[in-house]
Amino acid sequence: MTADEMKRFAERTVRSARASGAETAEVTVLERMEFAAEVRKGAIEKLIESVSSTIDIQLSVDRRKALVSSTDLSEESIAALITEGVELAKVMDRDEYFALPDAAELGAAGGDLGIFDADAHAIPAEKKIALAFELERNALRIDRRIIPDGSSFSNSARTISFANSLGFCDAYRRTSHTLALSCAVEDRPALGENIGKRQSSYWYSTAIRARDLEPVDEIASKAVSRTLRKIGARKPKTCEVPVVFDPEATRDLLESIANAASGGNIYRKSSFLVDRAGTQVGSPLVTIIDDALMPGRLGSRPFDYEGVRARRNVVFEKGLLKSYLLSSYQARKLGLKTTGNAGGISNLYIEPGPSAPREILASIDQGLYLMTLSGPGANWMTGDFSQGAQGFWIENGELSHPVDEFTLASSFPAMLSRVVMVGDDIDWRSPIAAPTIKIERMTLSGT
Amino acid sequence: MLPYKDYFGVDDSLMQKLFSIALSRGGSYCDLFFEHTILNQITMEEGIVKQGEKAIGHGMGIRVVKGEGTGYAYTEEISFEKMKEAARTASAIADAKTNTAPVALASVPFTNRYPIEEPTTGTPLKKKIEWIEEAERAAHEYDPRIVKVSVSLADDLSTVQIATSGGAILRDVRPMLRFSVNVVAEANGNRQIGASSGGGRIGNEYFTLRISPREHGREAARQGILLLGAVDAPAGPMELILSHAESGVLLHETVGHPLEADFIRKGTSAYTNRVGHKVASNLVTVIDDGTIANDRGSINFDDEGTLSSSTVLIENGILRGYMHDRISATLFGVPPTGNGRRETYKFPPAPRMTVTYLANGASDPEEILRSTRRGIYCKSFRGGEVDISNGDFVFVPVEAYLVENGRITVPVKNLTIIGNGPDVLSKVTMVGSDLAISDGRWTCGKGQHVPVGVGLPTVKISEITVGGSEIGPRQGGTRP
Repeated sequence: MTADEMKRFAERTVRSARASGAETAEVTVLERMEFAAEVRKGAIEKLIESVSSTIDIQLSVDRRKALVSSTDLSEESIAALITEGVELAKVMDRDEYFALPDAAELGAAGGDLGIFDADAHAIPAEKKIALAFELERNALRIDRRIIPDGSSFSNSARTISFANSLGFCDAYRRTSHTLALSCAVEDRPALGENIGKRQSSYWYSTAIRARDLEPVDEIASKAVSRTLRKIGARKPKTCEVPVVFDPEATRDLLESIANAASGGNIYRKSSFLVDRAGTQVGSPLVTIIDDALMPGRLGSRPFDYEGVRARRNVVFEKGLLKSYLLSSYQARKLGLKTTGNAGGISNLYIEPGPSAPREILASIDQGLYLMTLSGPGANWMTGDFSQGAQGFWIENGELSHPVDEFTLASSFPAMLSRVVMVGDDIDWRSPIAAPTIKIERMTLSGT
Repeated sequence: MLPYKDYFGVDDSLMQKLFSIALSRGGSYCDLFFEHTILNQITMEEGIVKQGEKAIGHGMGIRVVKGEGTGYAYTEEISFEKMKEAARTASAIADAKTNTAPVALASVPFTNRYPIEEPTTGTPLKKKIEWIEEAERAAHEYDPRIVKVSVSLADDLSTVQIATSGGAILRDVRPMLRFSVNVVAEANGNRQIGASSGGGRIGNEYFTLRISPREHGREAARQGILLLGAVDAPAGPMELILSHAESGVLLHETVGHPLEADFIRKGTSAYTNRVGHKVASNLVTVIDDGTIANDRGSINFDDEGTLSSSTVLIENGILRGYMHDRISATLFGVPPTGNGRRETYKFPPAPRMTVTYLANGASDPEEILRSTRRGIYCKSFRGGEVDISNGDFVFVPVEAYLVENGRITVPVKNLTIIGNGPDVLSKVTMVGSDLAISDGRWTCGKGQHVPVGVGLPTVKISEITVGGSEIGPRQGGTRP
């Protein structure tokens, strides 16, 4: 469907929901074209191409709510779904806080957000596959020890249309392109039972426009060097250390903070940021912003999932918790105003600081350079933090050797208040973007 | 009674046409996966039944295999035109010109692993709401320090039809029930979370035969209140006792994933080329079994039409085999094991676990505890993760205790446990005789989400790294 057809479809569905007894209705129609080619050892491993659609219908009767959705967009199926949705809503309890957003909040932010690449459809499949092959060949040329674990080109184009019973209706389109390479290498541990041990890593580039992707030789060389550098990793000693977070590791941290700042978890009292608004939570170096209006960024959008005009929100300003991320319902529950965050974050980032990553390393005699966090031990509900980790040991301001099979523990409030340096190297390959940061100390558990 | 009309309204001749288009460029195998899934969910929070949901997933996927390569396309409009287009797209994995012989389809008999007494899908909403309210009440009544309770009941019913170019056609209706309670406990500014959930491929009899809504409510509350009194966990290597059932999550991460044969055929798993080798202590026998009655991880047949089975992965410490899908089984020249699973019609299948468990040993669980000088005793978990290549795995306990001189002393919190799969398997020093399979709550997220089961008897590991925040010889007893 074209964007206009999708708008009309969403509007029509709102009307039929109203005609079937729904007092309010909000309809989102999403269409997604996806393509993915993955190659391995010179042969195509996976080739996927499809178009999928989903419709979500949120409706209410007397402030009683139901959400029905389907991938079957046939008229009869949607009509039946609406009827069931209305019946379902009627048996729910009345939710005093439920209402559509204020009409004044609805609308699309003006200006071109630069989130759609009109050429996305034009790249022939052969070209995309050829890029994936070229990426793998580049990696294998660098070092013959590399075990390729998939080189891929994928892209998607999405059209999102939204309409509600207050008469708002609009649509936008977004694209994304990704080139990625994973590889492994054999490792020979000196001790232990881990006979077939390997090390693995990856690199990828993601952009709205295909022409903004990193060149294949750069992606290949980063993936390969990140993999080879892990050979000989050993377990460090249990101790307290200063920790430098690589931008990807900082991003993991920020993702937890996004959950903790989400209005739904605040009113449910399931966040370490409950009752902390207006207080100093982080060090003065920590400024966190959610900005939906950044041109050309992966999370930019003209309006949120309930049609509220998108905007820029400061979540932390110099460590002070300024705002939660709120939908209109969450805002009403908390006696606040919507921040245009129905459906979650847009582009959430930690504002880069003045320090070059090299200076950050140079500030440490003995410490940890953290590459990867793993496992579900980042508990943003209680604020507890304990996760598996991999990275490099820092000695006299430089990386000395790879380390693995250890954990890092602290708490979110302690970590945020112990941010002592922030890098100038923000990584924008995701809607959650972060620079290198240094945390003064954490507990490392190893041998 | 069929939960979905006419099984997608496609007949044999139409499927045969699709096979011939899909294989026209030289693909060696093709399957058609039709799915119609209805998911219902009701959620209660803050004392009100807040939202009812219904989601329909409807579509079909066509896969063409050539060697280790997969061509895949799907459509949500099950019309001949759209399916023909998908068949052409998927065919492009191969690039030869061939004429394929027509495929004659015959239905394959199978045993139903999930007989149901009273289906949850279709149960009157009023009844479902009663169960939800019962659990909510029980949680609040348990202790006034329970300040928030949310409860949800989700049931889905998935109708699938799989036809293979090998001539098999299979049709199944897969039910799933999941009931969950989450609470927030609060006292003096200390806030903790408690949870209890369960279910399986089972109907409403779950609440009478296994765990009632009230028991789930009380259990979530008990956990939240318990954690209010927990102290920060110690840091460093120590002994570990895994209590039965839930701790199977350890097995899922340490040996489960690295024995999925896609990692083996790609050579990225540490267990590549090691069948017949000793990879664990003699006490370790690991089985993946998709046939356990009514379990969340069980399947009558997998998502490429192979009947589910029980596969011995490790026997008394010796590696016996891997979990295969058709691609890896063909490559290794072994029969597929019924582990080719997918999240929905939008995905091609991959080797995935079903219900993975450790076989019983001879130790008395009490004796395992008494033999432990200083360690951690784990009872329930938030989840885990593994790095396939180097074997490092983590898992995060929710309910765990410090053990001192053979006795459980104090509940601990904020800990991740980290180990290396092959190392830890060699450090299994005691295996209990109390094997139990966890209640159905686990979902595995290897690229696609599929429901799985885990199981374990009580197990002792002689040394593992406990990742708490407290360093020192007498940590864990008090909190500054």
